[in-house]
Amino acid sequence: MESSSQDLDGNILVTKRLKKYYPIRRGFNPFSGGGQRFVKAVDDVSVNVPRGKTVAILGESGCGKTTLARAVTLLSPPTEGEIVFDGQNITKGKVNYKKIYREMQMVFQDPDSSLDPRLKVRQSVAEPCKGLLGKDEANINSMVMTSLKAVGLTEEHAERIPSHLSGGQKQRVAIARAIAPQPKLVILDEPTSALDASVQAQILNLLLDLQKNYNLTYVIITHNISVAEYLSDLLVVMYAGNVVEYGPSSSIIAKPRHPYTITLIASAPIPNPWKRNLLNTEIKGEVPSAINPPSGCKFHPRCPYAQKICSEQIPELREISPGQFVSCHFAEKTG
Amino acid sequence: METSNNANQLLVISDLSIVYQSKKQSLLALDKTTIEIEKNTFVAIVGESGCGKSTLALSIIGLLAIPPAKIASGSINYKSVNLVELKENQRRQYRGTEIAMIFQEPLTSLNPVYKVGDQIAEAIVVREERQGGKEIDAGVQVMQKTYRTNSPDFPSRLPRFRRGALAKVLREETLDALKRVRIADPEQVIDRYPFELSGGMRQRVMIAMALAKKPALLIADEPTTALDVTTQAQVLKLMKVLMDEVNTSILLITHDLAVASQVADRVVVMYAGDIVEDAQVFDMFAEPMHPYSKGLLSCIPTGSKDKSKLTPIPGSVPNLSEEQIGCKYASRCPNVMNICTTKRPRLLEVKPKHRVACFLYGE
Repeated sequence: MESSSQDLDGNILVTKRLKKYYPIRRGFNPFSGGGQRFVKAVDDVSVNVPRGKTVAILGESGCGKTTLARAVTLLSPPTEGEIVFDGQNITKGKVNYKKIYREMQMVFQDPDSSLDPRLKVRQSVAEPCKGLLGKDEANINSMVMTSLKAVGLTEEHAERIPSHLSGGQKQRVAIARAIAPQPKLVILDEPTSALDASVQAQILNLLLDLQKNYNLTYVIITHNISVAEYLSDLLVVMYAGNVVEYGPSSSIIAKPRHPYTITLIASAPIPNPWKRNLLNTEIKGEVPSAINPPSGCKFHPRCPYAQKICSEQIPELREISPGQFVSCHFAEKTG
Repeated sequence: METSNNANQLLVISDLSIVYQSKKQSLLALDKTTIEIEKNTFVAIVGESGCGKSTLALSIIGLLAIPPAKIASGSINYKSVNLVELKENQRRQYRGTEIAMIFQEPLTSLNPVYKVGDQIAEAIVVREERQGGKEIDAGVQVMQKTYRTNSPDFPSRLPRFRRGALAKVLREETLDALKRVRIADPEQVIDRYPFELSGGMRQRVMIAMALAKKPALLIADEPTTALDVTTQAQVLKLMKVLMDEVNTSILLITHDLAVASQVADRVVVMYAGDIVEDAQVFDMFAEPMHPYSKGLLSCIPTGSKDKSKLTPIPGSVPNLSEEQIGCKYASRCPNVMNICTTKRPRLLEVKPKHRVACFLYGE
């Protein structure tokens, strides 16, 4: 979608033609020719995140969804393109990281590696508050306790170290740490993929409650379609570094237009033995290499609708139905 | 449940208890598990982490690390032979050719230094040798024997079965095995190393190896958990098709009820070392009876937050190192009664082919 056509005021985060390329060094000989090559992890992604809403970024491993999150949070700054966060371009000029991270926080996939094993829960949660909001002990202590209470943990949990907590409790601590500085935007990278089904449901409901109580905006990175459908208002489907489909979750789930989205949704197992969609899906081939992607539309070697034009021309994101953008030459004919 | 020696029964496990013992504590991983598996069926065992589903799988194929594990009681009868009583070298004769297994992460179960073609060929050689009645020296891998370089008979680094007349037949059979798992251009893949393949292809190679020995039972422990959804769909579909082609039974271990509903004929739900419900797939999803099965089903998000909010199961799994009196699910159960905290419910057949361990139904 063209971000210029969108109302900037309603969006807390806008990315414009965002690119993240990782250079590859070939072999040991620095003089071996052939030019520099890149892994195009995120290639030309423009996404709008409306205030107070949840945007889910959906895709399979290697599609660039985590790279996108890391680029947006400036953990690995983008190669090209712009990020406008809360009305301010954070890719240009001198960046005030403290100010950004006070309002933008991230929850990482695996709480085992994102929590310091030697710090007590209280210390872990206090850490970002101290760095971002100054050193007023009493104030920080009350912030820590409020956010721990908000995620359903008690005083007693605050004195434990991560190894004395269950997987679900650890993820709660990671969420508490992210919401402690009272951010506006929280980016969650696969928040439930390491959890069991019953714990996943607890965390999903917790996220919904927190959003309501603190008026948060979420960007959720996930490969799980039912999680994306449950939490999100808007859905961004990525394939090999590109956005292939973007729009309201309900309309994409009900009527996906991009052939990749169609197969992705059909491959998601649903708990219904009378509707064995999984056994009726046909998908050939594998996700292409990010170094040497196919020409034209990156999905064309696997696409049942592929024509000659697909291998020659990169399809632009077009608005097919209100709010639903699809990058496919034949988006009208699919489904 | 009657343990009649029905000709259709492949595997009958009765009262199997397995304990993991350490100096500090002992943990009851399986608590008097009783289950039968019929020929040519697709059974899915569903449960959350720590419920004992992998322990059950490993005990069937005999790969439990003993100690720390200990088989406290019970029997595993495979075609009327009690596997628990067998010695390791007898047990070995069953592993692979009768009962095969594939694991969650194919990269760690394939040997990184041998080409995948050789690894499949090894499986075929083992099958042939066993069918020919030859005893294979326990403890010596066929691969190691054939790759031995200091032997004057085999100066080449190539395995014995890759040269001469045998090699040609074997190559054909290996190609067939790869074709059976729908790998595109098997002639190329046969000479690749595992790291050169994608996750989905590696899992297919594992399946090709497991099925090359024509087992009567294939145990698949979370075979698609490490894979993407589209690849998962391909692999599950393949397993389902191959089950009929090779005429085998599949025991799928999974944490995902949705996956089970898509492929299985029968679903077994486990909780904290117990089987709590065991039913045909349609009965299980039309009318789940045990409160835990119901709870697990209501935890799967279907649809958006505006339509229906999820109802998670409160609390967490009990500590298995402490002795449990009464039903292990009692502390989390919405239908808990007085009897639940004092007595353990038995797994009873409350409807034809539908077993439940809950006081809500009978007793």
